[in-house]
Amino acid sequence: MMLEHILVLSAYLFSIGIYGLITSRNMVRALMCLELILNAVNINFLKGNIFSIFVIAIAAAEASIGSAIVSSIYRNRKSTRINQSTLLNK
Amino acid sequence: MDLPGPIHNFLLVFLGSGLILRGLGVVLRINPIYSAFSLGLVLVCISLFYILTNYHFVATAKLLIYVGAINVLILFVVMFMNIQNIIKILIHGPLGMALLRCTILDTSWYGIIWTTRSNQIIEQDLIGNSQQIGIHLATDFFLPFEFISIILLVALIGAIDVTLQ
Repeated sequence: MMLEHILVLSAYLFSIGIYGLITSRNMVRALMCLELILNAVNINFLKGNIFSIFVIAIAAAEASIGSAIVSSIYRNRKSTRINQSTLLNK
Repeated sequence: MDLPGPIHNFLLVFLGSGLILRGLGVVLRINPIYSAFSLGLVLVCISLFYILTNYHFVATAKLLIYVGAINVLILFVVMFMNIQNIIKILIHGPLGMALLRCTILDTSWYGIIWTTRSNQIIEQDLIGNSQQIGIHLATDFFLPFEFISIILLVALIGAIDVTLQ
C-alpha cells in the first residue's frame, strides 16, 4: 500500500517540477524547480538507499554551482530574466 | 517505523496531501520567497516519508543537507537579488498548458500502481540502516564514493572562484 502511493507522488512531483522549470521566467525559480525534480527522482529510489545518498551529494554540488552562476549573471546584467540571454542569436 | 495501521495511513495521507499542495505552491506563487519556503516544506515532507519506511539515516541526511544547506543557499540567492515582481496576472501561455496536460494526463498513473502490486516482499532487516549504508559504501560502492568526494571538492572550489570576482 505504501509503495505505489510514493511512486505516484514522485511522478506527480516530477511533472510539476518540469512544468515549473520550463514556464519560469526567473532563474532562481528554475533552480528551485530543478531541486524539486531531483527530489522526485530521489523518492523514487525507495529501496535503493545507497543511490539516494549519491543523488543527494550530486544535487548539493549542482545547487551550489547553479547559484554561483546565477549570482554572477545577476552581477553582470542586473536582471534575472531567462529570456534575455540572447547573446548567441544574431 | 512499526507504527500501528491507522497512524501509518493517517501520516501517509497527511504527508501526501502536504506534498501535493506545496509542490503546486513552489511553481505557482508569484513571490519567490514564498516559493522558497514552500520548497523547504516539500523537502521536510519527503524526509518524513523516509522515516516512515525505516530509512532513518537517509531521512536525517536529507533533512540536514537539503533543508539545512541547499534551501538556505536558495534563500540567500533569492534575497540577494532584488527581484522586481510586478504584480500581474499569471499568464501561463499555451505552451505551459500543453506541457501540463502532456505531463500529468499522459503519465500512466494506473501503470505505476499496477507494476508494484506483484511483489510484496516482507523483509526483516536485522542490521540498521546506517550500518547497511556503511557496509555498501565500503565494499561495493567504494569507487563512486571517491568520485563523489572529488566532485564535491571541485564544485566547492569552482563555486567560490566564480563568486569571488
